[in-house]
Amino acid sequence: MNKEIDALIKDFYEHDYILNEALATSIFLLKNLEKPLLLEGNPGVGKTMLAKTLAAHLGTNLIRLQCYEGLDVSTTIYEWNYQKQLLHIKLFEQEEDKMTLQNQIFGMDYVLQRPLLQSISSEKPVVLLIDEIDRADEEFEAYLLELLSDFQISIPELGTIQATSKPLVILTSNRTRELSDALRRRCLYHWVDFPSKTKEIDIIAKKLPTIDEELATQVVTFIHNLRKSSLHKPPGIAESLDWAKTLLLMNQKNITDEIVQNTIGSVLKHKDDVEFVRSRSVREFLVPIS
Amino acid sequence: MQAITKTFKERLIDFTMYCRERQFVLGPQETRDAFEVAERGWVLDRKLFQYSLKAIYCKRKEHFDRFDEMFDRFWSRYYEEKLEQRKKQIKQLKKEKDTATVIFLGTEFKLPKKEVKEQEAKETVGANESIRLRFTDFSKVNVTDKEKLEELAEELFHQMSMRFKRRLENANQGSIDVRNTIRQGISKGGMLLHLAYKRKRKEKRKVVFILDVSGSMDTYSYYLLRYVMVLKKYFKSLEFFTFSTELTHVTPMLRQNNEQEILRQIGKNVHSWSSGTKIGASLTEFLAVYGSKFLSQKHIVVILSDGLETGNVTILKEAVRTIRRKCKTLIWLNPLKGMAGYQPIQKGMVNVMPHLDAFESAHNLDSLLKLEKLLMDV
Repeated sequence: MNKEIDALIKDFYEHDYILNEALATSIFLLKNLEKPLLLEGNPGVGKTMLAKTLAAHLGTNLIRLQCYEGLDVSTTIYEWNYQKQLLHIKLFEQEEDKMTLQNQIFGMDYVLQRPLLQSISSEKPVVLLIDEIDRADEEFEAYLLELLSDFQISIPELGTIQATSKPLVILTSNRTRELSDALRRRCLYHWVDFPSKTKEIDIIAKKLPTIDEELATQVVTFIHNLRKSSLHKPPGIAESLDWAKTLLLMNQKNITDEIVQNTIGSVLKHKDDVEFVRSRSVREFLVPIS
Repeated sequence: MQAITKTFKERLIDFTMYCRERQFVLGPQETRDAFEVAERGWVLDRKLFQYSLKAIYCKRKEHFDRFDEMFDRFWSRYYEEKLEQRKKQIKQLKKEKDTATVIFLGTEFKLPKKEVKEQEAKETVGANESIRLRFTDFSKVNVTDKEKLEELAEELFHQMSMRFKRRLENANQGSIDVRNTIRQGISKGGMLLHLAYKRKRKEKRKVVFILDVSGSMDTYSYYLLRYVMVLKKYFKSLEFFTFSTELTHVTPMLRQNNEQEILRQIGKNVHSWSSGTKIGASLTEFLAVYGSKFLSQKHIVVILSDGLETGNVTILKEAVRTIRRKCKTLIWLNPLKGMAGYQPIQKGMVNVMPHLDAFESAHNLDSLLKLEKLLMDV
């Protein structure tokens, strides 16, 4: 593999994130082709963490935009600072040249920058994380297109604002709804899957260095078997880590029925899923996986 | 940045088309990004190139899951060839080095003739696996080669469909034909007074394929079917029928974009697969039901069959004679023709031979690819 990609994998590892070669190549392209990267995958597989680690790896700021229904321009791109504008009008109302006054109050000094505008106005390239884009409305996706393809934003009163430095954009989606083709076309794509057993053990060992190897193996076997069952919400890496941490705090060496009954809440977040696991023996979930 | 060869560019474009045919939504931007990746020299590292194209070409999970297999299928031969080339280069360098040493010592070095021949033969077999497979009879493909042949067939058929699509013809408008412009200028003392143009050839040919899917054709019919499916992409007015004991009109099933779905549909709807052969009766049915619609002086009819008729030979002879009269060209492709010492002396073939415009073999990939020329020249 390419030396730069090897270095990337190594550096991410030092930041506690274990990259595989394919994902490392996507990050490498994100940096080199200056195209946004769309990460899709089940919740809890480390999509958001990847953006945070990338920012740490580059030693730059992370600007995060958490998407939700009803997100609009004023909360994501810019808003006029009305109080400041009114104050300015009051101060200079005696001014005869009204045109100059108008130009003054519609300048960049009177714009409140929201995450997207901030990300392109920064002197140094930042990492822009547009998290859970599938939660936002389709209209918001349309707002994003200009930024994602040309790294610019158009403000009617000011014109087009070009990026001072191009941000590294990462979009994440849990696939709760299908994203538009227009948005997909502007991005590189990577599907972040659940990690393999070995990789997940490595992740736990990396995050919790004091954990016993046997316990880590049991946790991962249990979680992998859970993922194979048809649950409402299969546990992600975050849940594996939470559970391993809980077991470590309780000084447990092995997973027993009693422990599962008491702690499964940190792994499963759905009533039916919890009942399903509680009704079964722990041995069923500790069957070695191939 | 590293300059990439024209052949490689074409290959990359072919791969883009290959992905498009498999429902990948790819525009010029993706191709441009892929070129940039190639120009940066990442193509030399197979994994890096594969993962880069994966990130660029995939736009959803369904693509992501299928991409690696597609990449391997399309590019493995390219990388194998590169590896072999490199091995050869190293071998050559070694050889030159050895020779130089010998000359330095003042001794003339020559391999005995027999040894040289053996060496060449070994290299030919080792270096040209794709050529060997290209000439392997479909009925003699062993289990280990089957998968490789599948890949090669897919690649070669795809390249053939690209060649069909790229054919251009002279026109009054379109893109400038530099070659012809210069040629016309010769008569004007080298002055380029008139510009020559070329445009995509408008396909006027109408082709009807009638494929024998009886038991005796079992080892061939699958490849012939795949071949017709590729041609369908180019010939808009291609009609496709299969027969053994009964005739089936398959064209409506070819309208799907997904190849696997087409094969599934055909498997579901063609009931007489691997049964007996009634060529005469099937062709008569074709004439009676579809003759008025699909036979004219613009139609090329291609019958793919071994000619082992179990029905009445007179009916067969009459049907072929009528088809020939009603169409522009009648071509018979017989896989048995590829066998050494084959003579068309079976009753069926003897009777139809006088009415055929062309009688060709169809027993391996090479013979199928040669049909391309036959179809274009008609």
